[in-house]
Amino acid sequence: MIITVIRSGGFAGISRQWSVRVDEQPDEEQWRELLDRLPWDRSNQAPDEPDRYVYRVRCAPHETVIPERRLDGPWRELVERVQQANAHDQDGSTSDNVGT
Amino acid sequence: MRCTIVPPYLLLRIAETDEPRLADAAAAARRALVHDIPFRTFRGVAPEQPSPPSAPGLQRTICTADHTETLPGRVVRAEGDAPTGDPATDEAYDGFGRTYDFFQAIYSRASIDDNDLPLDGTVHYGDAYDNAFWDGRQMVFGDGDGQVFTRFTSSLSVIGHELVHGMTQYTTNLIYQGQSGALNESVSDVFGALVEQYAANQTADAASWLIGEGLFTDLVQGSAIRSLKAPGTAYDDDVLGKDPQPDHMSSYIVTEDDNGGVHLNSGIPNRAFYLVASALGGFAWERAGRIWYETVTTHSLPADADFARFARATGDAAVALYGAESEEHHAVTQAWHGVGLG
Repeated sequence: MIITVIRSGGFAGISRQWSVRVDEQPDEEQWRELLDRLPWDRSNQAPDEPDRYVYRVRCAPHETVIPERRLDGPWRELVERVQQANAHDQDGSTSDNVGT
Repeated sequence: MRCTIVPPYLLLRIAETDEPRLADAAAAARRALVHDIPFRTFRGVAPEQPSPPSAPGLQRTICTADHTETLPGRVVRAEGDAPTGDPATDEAYDGFGRTYDFFQAIYSRASIDDNDLPLDGTVHYGDAYDNAFWDGRQMVFGDGDGQVFTRFTSSLSVIGHELVHGMTQYTTNLIYQGQSGALNESVSDVFGALVEQYAANQTADAASWLIGEGLFTDLVQGSAIRSLKAPGTAYDDDVLGKDPQPDHMSSYIVTEDDNGGVHLNSGIPNRAFYLVASALGGFAWERAGRIWYETVTTHSLPADADFARFARATGDAAVALYGAESEEHHAVTQAWHGVGLG
């Protein structure tokens, strides 16, 4: 199971991407517990806020788009954990791309 | 060095870099990622720049978020207050004043709503936050991470850009998605550049046409975030990659991210504006800027306008202002042709 987070937008418009293989994580159980709490069906509608970030989160079969203003609760926890896991993981199983 | 705090943005890429020149930054980034370095900030030095006198109707309030994400935060400088000595606060205050003065002096516009709406901004937003934005009511500025980005108030074109998002909200209200969103971005870049050119009294051929010049630290190979003159050339860095902006419809980027590429495809109308300004010469705010200003403030442009619709509207504005077949009308027609539209 792979979780991918793509952050786009922002004033500079530079996209970033982070991925994690859940079954390779030492704390896999905690990852699965967090994944169970994600409100995939929640509406993330928000008013336009020029230059704010937009997050896209994928974990098959799910995918959702979350404006920065709505990145709260378990979504924020997930994004921060995926970013941190990428920082620790240097074995090439992660991707980290700038640009589009 | 201006500001260094825990870097969140591009942090992972920096942490993973093998670049010797970024070795210290990479180590700091890796530490920051596990949240084991204490919060710290180094106050920079404000550039020598006199505060413009307050115009009647200008009402500025600068708050600090004290490095949280709570808005608007605590007031640190209200209209008429003396400089605080904090560069971010004073740059925001002065930048709002210069932007207000530009629109007042050149287009007789009273603030972003033309009704003297108070200008509110929050600085020191978030933790080493590498961004600035307009939230529908106010401007918000991060301090940057100090490794890739300096504080976002350090560039007048960035401050102008954010304020013009407010102006767009009160005028055409271009929908922030796809081509209308890229036009929303472009209008902010165009007038952000003009605010800077007006403050520096620069003609079109003397101006840099850069947005966010000085925003990157010296570690980054790049002069600015965007270029209206040559979209796609503002930076080309080993770590950040290359400026991805297209300068012609033939390289238009189709993407679902970034609200449909609003910060990418804005390069196309940006380049069109530069071509008009370059063809006409002199001060770009006088004729090219006037045409664009009329286009976005006459309320005839639909909120979902695409590039072709916007191009026609600028042509109509040029005819209304200067006459059919005028030098200005020709410059507009040629400019859009030059980016693959019309």
